[in-house]
Amino acid sequence: MISLRGVTKSYGRGAGLTRVLKGVDLEIPDGSFSVILGASGSGKTTLLNVMSGLERPDEGSVRVDGQELSGLTDRELTAFRKRTVGFVFQQYYLLPDLTVEKNVRMGADLAGNPDFSGILESVGLGDKRKKYPGELSGGEQQRVSIARALAKRPQVLFADEPTGALDEQTGRQVLDVMARMRQKLGLTVVMVTHNQNIAQMADRVITMNSGKILGQAEGGSKSAFEIGW
Amino acid sequence: MFIRGKDLIKLAAIAVVTCCAVFVCTLFLNYMQDLADVGGEIASEAGRILYEAQMSMGKVTCAVTGGCLVLTSAVLLAFYVKNYVDAHGRELGVLKALGMSEWRIAAAFWVFGLSVLAGCLLGFVLAFAYMPRFYAVQNADGLFPDMAVRLHPGLIWWEILLPSLCFAGLAVFCAARKLRRPALELLRGKQEISFRPAASGDLPFLKDLRRQTLRRKKVLAFLVTFSAFCFSAMTQMSLSMFDLASATFAWMILAIGLILAFVTLMLSLSSVVRANAGTIAMMRAFGYPDSACSSAVLGGYRPLSWIGFAVGTIYQYGLLKLVMTFVFAGVEGMPAYSFNFWALALSLVLFAAVYELILYRFSQKLNALPLRAVMI
Repeated sequence: MISLRGVTKSYGRGAGLTRVLKGVDLEIPDGSFSVILGASGSGKTTLLNVMSGLERPDEGSVRVDGQELSGLTDRELTAFRKRTVGFVFQQYYLLPDLTVEKNVRMGADLAGNPDFSGILESVGLGDKRKKYPGELSGGEQQRVSIARALAKRPQVLFADEPTGALDEQTGRQVLDVMARMRQKLGLTVVMVTHNQNIAQMADRVITMNSGKILGQAEGGSKSAFEIGW
Repeated sequence: MFIRGKDLIKLAAIAVVTCCAVFVCTLFLNYMQDLADVGGEIASEAGRILYEAQMSMGKVTCAVTGGCLVLTSAVLLAFYVKNYVDAHGRELGVLKALGMSEWRIAAAFWVFGLSVLAGCLLGFVLAFAYMPRFYAVQNADGLFPDMAVRLHPGLIWWEILLPSLCFAGLAVFCAARKLRRPALELLRGKQEISFRPAASGDLPFLKDLRRQTLRRKKVLAFLVTFSAFCFSAMTQMSLSMFDLASATFAWMILAIGLILAFVTLMLSLSSVVRANAGTIAMMRAFGYPDSACSSAVLGGYRPLSWIGFAVGTIYQYGLLKLVMTFVFAGVEGMPAYSFNFWALALSLVLFAAVYELILYRFSQKLNALPLRAVMI
């Protein structure tokens, strides 16, 4: 369970102060597929960063699996991320000088997971393991990034606009991989997106605007090939 | 041309190395010309032998120290221009997209030659300021007639104008080569794939990353090795110089060696940190501890620096042995030269302490990179 109470976060100071999160209260149950939906600048990426331990809130409480994150030191937050979370980003952030296999080992070695080959097969990249990221399409790179995140056996997978840089067909394929892997591994998935159609895949849809939660609703739990685009 | 504070620091580093090169070469070349002018008046045999020895020593010093420093300046400038184009790819890509040719854009890079001009001017002025003392040290035994310091105008061309022109040309050439990419590639900030990473078999992630970090930036690996080489060779040579030559010589060599080693090491390590910021950010996001991140990026340079140190030790011994055996053979009062173990020990301890301190400082810098800023 991820639980947030009264979370605020600002950037800058003085006249340049921007309040990005303004007292967010939120609960995300284990094993759920939650989508945080909002326009650009609504604070959804900052919310994801705070939930995942990439950033600390200015005020309020963030609890993940019973552990309070707001008071942790940098070292403790690193240890938390190591054992609990995986990330998928819009820009992939693969290491360009390492092969697909080595990029996945970045996650696998961290968790002592010897079965990174199986994950590569699961995301449909078994035959690309010796390729370099620059030799892959955008969709393939994103699938490598998903495999890298899953190889570290996280409890929660955070995805920030994972289809933002992809075309419709490739985007659907990537979402399908994520949905299948979530079911197979029993993960909690939290995805940030501005695409309302993608929200139809979720169990829960959290809508944000101007740093506040506007509302929460049940999603459509549809497959990646049933939703609009 | 968009030159910021950080750029100025790097250009100043190039100016410092150039200044050292011009200082040494001007000192010796001007002295050799003045000495040659009074060469016919030297009657004593001891004076003739010392005359020949000093002329040979001057040529060796100019060729080895001056040449080495000029080469370093050239490598640093080329490296700096390359990094500048990478860092400002978007701005330069816009110009290219608007229809400017790479040579037209690259022509603006001549301004980087100004750093060399500044270094040359400073080195030239410092050399002339120091020259009276240098002349006195060189003729401490009074074997030569009194020599007045005279300015040989040809040196202005060879020591200031020609290097500045050549380095400005080098900057333009390097920029043009680097800009020979499609405008879209520059705009997107896409890195050139200039190397094919070697197959790494079944190496774990961290070992493979360390290996590829070294292979990807061969110039950086060279500069780190070179800085250790400079430190080792120049400190040991200067410590031996207290016995073999004079304290003035020793301090001069020590100062140049330390400046060169420090400047190249700082410049190369800061480039390593910048080049790997994204990798480190991603590793930290995934939960790799700080020690693993800095070790994967910086750890690979440690063996190289020790190799540089060893080569520097052998080099300075070989050079001094050669000079003492052939150049100063027959000069009265010259002590016999043998390997200076005391100098090695002192240099080794200093090197280990200073190098590890600098690496530690850069590790802290790496670990302080804000995750959010790097990713956005």
